[in-house]
Amino acid sequence: MGIETDNQEIEKSMREVARNLLKEKEVDVIIGYSKGTFPLSTSPIMIKKEEEVDKLIWNNLCYVNLAKYLVPKIPQLLDPEGGDLKIGIVSKGCVGRALVHLAVEKQLNLENIKMIGIPCNGVVNRRRIEKDIGEKEVFEISASGNDLIVKGKDFEQKFPFDEYINELCKVCKVKSPPSVSEACIGECQEVPSIEDDFGDLSDYESKTTEEKWQEITDTLSVCTRCYACREACPMCYCNLCFVDQNKPIWFGKTTDMSDIVIFHLVRAMHMAGRCVACGACSSVCPMGIDLNKITRKLEKIVKERYDFTSGIDTEKLPPMMDFELEEAEEFMLEED
Amino acid sequence: MEEKLLMKDQIAKLYDELAKDYSFFAPIKEKGNIVFKKASNPEEIELDYFNSKVPPKEVLFPKMEVLFEYSLDEKDVEIKERTDLDEKRLIFGIRPCDAHSFVLLENFFDFGEFKDEIFLKKRENTTLIGMGCNSPKSTCFCTSLEGHPFQRDDLDVMLVDLGDKYLVESVTEKGKELVQKLSWLTEATKADVEKAQDLSIQAEESFQTHLDFSNVAKTLDPNFDHPIWEEISEICIGCGTCSFLCPTCTCFDVIDETDEYNNRGRRIRIWDTCQSCQYTLHTSGHNPRNSCIERCRNRILHKFSYYPTNYNLIGCVGCGRCVQLCPVNNDLRTIIEKINKIEDKKEEKISA
Amino acid sequence: MPNIYIPLLTRVKSVVKENKANDIKTIELEFQKEEDYKNFNYIPGQFAEISIIGKGECPIGIASSPTEEGTIKFTIKRMGTVTSVFHSREEGDVVGVRGPCGNGWPIEEMKGKNIVVIGGGFAFSTLRSLVLYLLDEKYRKDYGDITVIYGNRDPGEVLYQDVLEEWKKRDDIKVVLTIDREAEGWTEKVGFVAPIVKEVAPSADNAVAVVCGPPIMIKTTIAVLEELNFKDDQILNSLEMRMKCGVGKCGRCNIGNKYVCVDGPVFSLAELKKMPSEY
Repeated sequence: MGIETDNQEIEKSMREVARNLLKEKEVDVIIGYSKGTFPLSTSPIMIKKEEEVDKLIWNNLCYVNLAKYLVPKIPQLLDPEGGDLKIGIVSKGCVGRALVHLAVEKQLNLENIKMIGIPCNGVVNRRRIEKDIGEKEVFEISASGNDLIVKGKDFEQKFPFDEYINELCKVCKVKSPPSVSEACIGECQEVPSIEDDFGDLSDYESKTTEEKWQEITDTLSVCTRCYACREACPMCYCNLCFVDQNKPIWFGKTTDMSDIVIFHLVRAMHMAGRCVACGACSSVCPMGIDLNKITRKLEKIVKERYDFTSGIDTEKLPPMMDFELEEAEEFMLEED
Repeated sequence: MEEKLLMKDQIAKLYDELAKDYSFFAPIKEKGNIVFKKASNPEEIELDYFNSKVPPKEVLFPKMEVLFEYSLDEKDVEIKERTDLDEKRLIFGIRPCDAHSFVLLENFFDFGEFKDEIFLKKRENTTLIGMGCNSPKSTCFCTSLEGHPFQRDDLDVMLVDLGDKYLVESVTEKGKELVQKLSWLTEATKADVEKAQDLSIQAEESFQTHLDFSNVAKTLDPNFDHPIWEEISEICIGCGTCSFLCPTCTCFDVIDETDEYNNRGRRIRIWDTCQSCQYTLHTSGHNPRNSCIERCRNRILHKFSYYPTNYNLIGCVGCGRCVQLCPVNNDLRTIIEKINKIEDKKEEKISA
Repeated sequence: MPNIYIPLLTRVKSVVKENKANDIKTIELEFQKEEDYKNFNYIPGQFAEISIIGKGECPIGIASSPTEEGTIKFTIKRMGTVTSVFHSREEGDVVGVRGPCGNGWPIEEMKGKNIVVIGGGFAFSTLRSLVLYLLDEKYRKDYGDITVIYGNRDPGEVLYQDVLEEWKKRDDIKVVLTIDREAEGWTEKVGFVAPIVKEVAPSADNAVAVVCGPPIMIKTTIAVLEELNFKDDQILNSLEMRMKCGVGKCGRCNIGNKYVCVDGPVFSLAELKKMPSEY
């Protein structure tokens, strides 16, 4: 079939669903993606009128996790009396997972939400493409068959799609939102359980501790502490992030290696059992830092230790919100 | 001819000579990103670049800077001031837009009764060897702000990439002295100078973004409470990337970092952003800028209204970094166009 | 060019409890170097960035008047991390001072006028500085009638009781104290500041009103002053904002195109009405 045709079909049915929702007044506002102002970009958009539906697009550059806009509440998504508007969200799998998980954490009510399900086939790794083509400007990006075609002033390059999507997208098992509630319409998928052998981690796991530390610190070394990763993450909704606290000051805010590493590792720990592997953090990073290894490793530990995957079950509590007396403690206590 | 030529295979020679007297900052590739760093050898210098991700303001106004150090002793405190402000720096390959940002930065830090000696001293001891932009990107708009891809005014020495060599032009006295020291540079020919002029015209004509800033400040002034700010800030996630990677943003936070075990520490300043929700949070809990709407508005007003009012300058150089790197593509150019339309709508209403 | 970020070192001379709740203290500082004190020329209404080196810095209005020689005083309320450390300071401890910062009360323009000083609660500290300055024998004749109206929640919150007693004894200043609700042993006025101002009804003729206090008090008081025919440029306010550098460089205290730490903290109502309401 080809990526281009797939996307066009998805876009068409997504717009149909959106149009109907607005027409039948089932939602007050639809959050989706719109065309970006330069080739390797898309921009989230909030539309309230049927005639704006054609502004909604779908392609493989839709990297922002739209669930971000729901928590904490923003004035634009509240009615004049301060009540929640009914919201439709264009949801690829990870956006749906994020919405489900936020509902489990009691941050939003799925009754006010309609997930317009989309079978996502992956988000293009912009930073990797930019690094590969060097300093040249991209004039056009399109797809032909299963290749991405990137054109510029004096060049044209082909990139195999499956290789140039985000690392997390390559191993994604939840491409459409989980159909765990009536909130999910359009294309959704049943997710009784996720089968994941985490084979992509075998290389990393075979390294020594020093090598792993080297890899992680190397990746993080260019961090500018802009917090785009934190702000793009739907799970980072704390009123006061741990790095901003000053009674006491837990960690430094500078760009010293120790401060950078601590920020990212502690934030990763706060994601344990909560991260939905959307990769928005890596997609938005201006310096191209890819946190996928840390994300995947955390996911694996949580799955193995607690048999939990975030965002696929509205009933099961995440490990950090739950406790059972029979739980294994061998990593904490010495055997007698 | 006054102009000289620097062959591309002479960069190492240039570096070896200048690095003796200057800390040589140049575009360097770090994990795939171009940044201005101190080159420890000429091979590190990346000549094939568009512009750095992080603006060269970080050479003089780094992400983290020590204001002073202190040692604590029972009932005594000793303060140690910076002694390294006389270090001579050279920034090689800075683009005209970023060089213009240095003018804005200097103006800001020098303004009023209190002068920021730390920045100003460093600026005084810095020489700029700039590079004209042969291929501006579609997101560049320096020409809309009275800038030009080949603007020499804010540089000490100007280089133009002619393919296998650079045309070298001294602009200031400082620049002239520097070029004279490099006595081994060959003379440029008339053809070289003409080629540079052609490249300049080509570059100017290649601009795709043309924005009208002539009325922006006037329009912004009376429209502080206009509903358009809700629309403009709708998708903003308040991350701060725009401020951090903006060559003219200067807001900072001040922190005391103390090593309690060794009774010493340092007071530092780190980059901060008005987009942070804590930026204006009072200890009492009151926050004058409580949502993205106010914060987004403040940044735009600061650059395009308060800067003109206070300093008679526009606080933007058109480098396009915020456009390229905003995670949600909240394009500044679109915002300016929306602002320009506010006045138009008002006029429509009057004539109707 | 002096480094504007380096604090001058002072030592704590005394720490005085100011209120019953024990969360407001006045700290008296002596400069370690004579020349630092000589160069620290301030006027009432200015503030300084005072620091506990190693913990942090905060902007506090100068409570002492330049006419009180030898030391400078700051009245600090325990609210956050740094202010809490200030409260545990003892005699001899080192405190860093950067300043003076801000524009201060316009004592030159106020000459020849009647001054109405209206304060509420803890915000009275720079008003103490102002009134002591106006009452000083060097300057008293330059100013007309002085009226002080000072309101508090209850008698235990009244600051600077020693200085207030002194003022009450004088005949060239009118002092009106008030508390919000009746309290045992309180013989002065009872009521919020705004209605008391209405009662006292200072004349707007050739007068300047200086208002400092919590936002609600300022709002209601200004409404009363407007009823009494005070024009916008006759009413002065001292604003509070989150500050870090105090010298107009870190950017965070801006209201519109003005920096509160440099163009303020004193603004007339006329100026405030021209500024965007983000404070």
